Amino acid sequence: MIRSVLFAAFAVVIASPALAVPDAISPDEAAFRTTYRTLVETDTTLAHGDCTLAAARMADTLRAAGFSDDRLIAYAAPDHPREGGLVAILPGHSTTLKPLLLVAHIDVVEARREDWPRDPFTLTETNGYFHARGAFDDKAHAAIFVDALANLSRTHAKPKRTIKLALTCGEETNGAFNGAQWLAANQRDLIDAAFALNEGGGGRTNGKPISTGGKVIAQTIQVGEKTFANFVLETRNRGGHSSAPRPDNAIYQLAHALDRIEAYTFPVEFTPTTSVYFHDVGTARGGPIGAAMIALAADPTDKAALWQVDTDAFLHSNIRTTCVATMLDAGHAPNALPQRARATVNCRIFPGHAVDAIGHELERVIGDPEVSVTALSPLRPAPPPPPLDPMVLDPARKLVAKYWPGVTLVPSMANGYTDATFLTAAGIPTYGAPGLWGDPDGNGVHGLDERIEVKSLLTGRLFLDDLIRAYAF
Amino acid sequence: MIARILAGAALAVIATQTALAAEDPSEAAFRATYKELVETNTAVSNGSCTLAAQRMGAHLKAAGFADDQITYFATPEHPRDGGLVAILPGTSTTEKPILLIAHLDVVEAKRADWTRDPFKLVEENGYFWARGSFDDKSMAAIWTDSMARLKAAHVKLRRTVKLALTCGEETSGAFNGAEWLAKNKRELIDAEFALNEGGGGRTDGKGVVDGGKVVVMSVQVGEKASQDYRVEARNVGGHSSIPIKDNAIYELSAALLHLRDFDFPAELNDTTRAFFARRSDAFPGATGAAMKTVATAAPGTDAFKQAVATLDQDRGFHSTLRTTCVATMLDGGHATNALPQRAGAIVNCRIFPGHSFEEIRTALVQVLADPKLTVTTAEPDQPIGKAPPLDPKVVHPMEALTAKYFPGVPLVPTMSTGATDGIYLEASGIPTYGVPGIWANPDFNGIHGLNEHLEVASLLKGRAFLYELIQAYAK
Repeated sequence: MIRSVLFAAFAVVIASPALAVPDAISPDEAAFRTTYRTLVETDTTLAHGDCTLAAARMADTLRAAGFSDDRLIAYAAPDHPREGGLVAILPGHSTTLKPLLLVAHIDVVEARREDWPRDPFTLTETNGYFHARGAFDDKAHAAIFVDALANLSRTHAKPKRTIKLALTCGEETNGAFNGAQWLAANQRDLIDAAFALNEGGGGRTNGKPISTGGKVIAQTIQVGEKTFANFVLETRNRGGHSSAPRPDNAIYQLAHALDRIEAYTFPVEFTPTTSVYFHDVGTARGGPIGAAMIALAADPTDKAALWQVDTDAFLHSNIRTTCVATMLDAGHAPNALPQRARATVNCRIFPGHAVDAIGHELERVIGDPEVSVTALSPLRPAPPPPPLDPMVLDPARKLVAKYWPGVTLVPSMANGYTDATFLTAAGIPTYGAPGLWGDPDGNGVHGLDERIEVKSLLTGRLFLDDLIRAYAF
Repeated sequence: MIARILAGAALAVIATQTALAAEDPSEAAFRATYKELVETNTAVSNGSCTLAAQRMGAHLKAAGFADDQITYFATPEHPRDGGLVAILPGTSTTEKPILLIAHLDVVEAKRADWTRDPFKLVEENGYFWARGSFDDKSMAAIWTDSMARLKAAHVKLRRTVKLALTCGEETSGAFNGAEWLAKNKRELIDAEFALNEGGGGRTDGKGVVDGGKVVVMSVQVGEKASQDYRVEARNVGGHSSIPIKDNAIYELSAALLHLRDFDFPAELNDTTRAFFARRSDAFPGATGAAMKTVATAAPGTDAFKQAVATLDQDRGFHSTLRTTCVATMLDGGHATNALPQRAGAIVNCRIFPGHSFEEIRTALVQVLADPKLTVTTAEPDQPIGKAPPLDPKVVHPMEALTAKYFPGVPLVPTMSTGATDGIYLEASGIPTYGVPGIWANPDFNGIHGLNEHLEVASLLKGRAFLYELIQAYAK
């Protein structure tokens, strides 16, 4: 989940009335709450949780709603038995329209009981918020998607498009088993779709919960994301006794390389997504930075606009590849000249550039063949962003206008990354759905006391149900 | 032992060697003392300096030392790291004692790595082979033997002669006997000056037994202090997907590049001036001329600066001419995908005598030129020693004996860029000199490494040289 890095540049101040939610809980909603609670209270951390169990419980829900076993495909790699997932298929009747894929990850970031104010794996509802690890990221989506398919099955709905659901494990870990990557590599046909809805989009309030008079002021749909790679820069030297320093020194050689990287800025780039984003958000934001965003989107060579935009760290990173030194390590004894010096450089690669190409660019910038540049595994794919497809965006725009009058749906590119990278690289354009909203404080996602406003979850559920219907029926 | 960094680059003077003196009847007793000491394992992991000290004490007692003239010392926490101090009284009430010091401990040696048992003394092809055969048990045995001979022969001495055998010179952070004596038994070891390891001779590449020659003798007068500083940058950090302008790693890198490009100003003291003057003849051409110039020209003159620039091309000379500070370790960051909250470097400085730790820290702050960085002085391993003077009273007898034993071989004062136990004595006000006498080959004789060895002739001639030297000072 990368929402915490999405909205940094937003200041859209447009009022919208909160959507009324009936006080009495409907049978539909009660069923959803049960599904959500069941999923959230199933610990799915890598350390001591079980995604396979969570997937089986969601399969039970779907089976109870009428899914036959042949439409519920549980999967797990033999060497990762607790990191399994589920693919569910609700067939459509069109022979020409390709399926819609709903994807959500069911694993969560680690959470320790002693660090939290309450048990992170017991769902608590207080003051209009659900609290638990995974209450937002990403079990909100996962439960909404399971519930949506269950409802469609129960009501014997007949969509035109086949609707597929993929629940996956491993989005929050890097280098462990990743279900989305595994499906794309091993079960490509099973998840084949015209496009996919994923996490990464969503709304943001003005800082107050809706239940206490706050407003949703922005909704985004994520269209594309940067990928990342870690590079290790290494210099070696014959070293020697530190009582007689020699002119060549591994640490100084590395420092020189880092100095070059610091001084280098990758060129400005736009995707169709970020062009629209800069124009729309710039218009809403106003002021010198807003004006500069509009100007730069219109003319990426506008130096004055670029200077202004680059004063905002989020925007600076949103218009180019960035590479930054994050770790250092050198030497083996205080009284010995270093034989090796090493730095890790973390790159966030603008869509469309291969990891290798960025590595070569770093070598060129450093300009010292004695500094080796090596990409660390795991190497992620670097697909071009999905298109700004009206078939995907128009229904979402209409629904946003209906649910949050006055709020414009803005396409955005994430500086971070989700599983969308793997699916998009496999030829399934993947979009981060709008709907669920968060607060500007980030809702404790990945951190302590993760929470989601009850109204966000319930309104988001209705919105996403409508969105699925708009695409599939 | 720091002989390995003494004789930097020098090999040219041809010298004639006198034949070894006639057979000495006391030589057999000395060989037995030496063998016993070498064969007593004194490595910190599985040896005992305390046992070695007791064995040397027994020799002294057999030669006539009274019990109250021998002080054994060891701390309860380090029962195997003990040593001894022996006192041979002189008659003068005005002249202060001289102190002979040697360390008993040796660098670790694994039987599996060595050709022979490292703790069995073997004599073969004119060499003694064993761990400690050179460093520093040759000197410890010579001092013990000399004290015993002076006592047994009832040699009349004006000055009191003291002997301190210590443990812990080869280890860093473990118990150090010289440091302990300087702090806790300062009166016991009080002396006008001390004779220590750190000096010595160098052959032309072949042992004398194989037709080689001793080409240079050195006396160590002073040493640089080694001190670590930590340079640190801190930052609020954040997610690496949104880099910010301030970055702890980049701040540190930029500062270290300033350090890379900085040299402390060249300076000389009596020792290094004499070193460059006397060694210049061994270096032909521009290097030799530059050595003469730095020894004589006024600092600040163009001639001096040009000479320094020439000598700086040799890293040994470069380090002898100034304080050096070099980055030796780096650490920083806590995750590959997070902006670093901290980046740090260890900078190791070798401080030219006469400067304080704080003075160098202040200089580093100026050189690094970033007020956001912190520069802190690490807990010192060693004090800062006061450089001993090139005292004619100390040096002249060495020169006379060098001329007698090694005719034509220059005696060159050297300043060590490393550090020995001398630094503890100097810090407590006892000027300490690394004596000439014993010689090594340019390959350093396996000191600290495998198959340590010492030429038999070097040991025996060194013994004769040093026995005369003690008497030259004390009689």
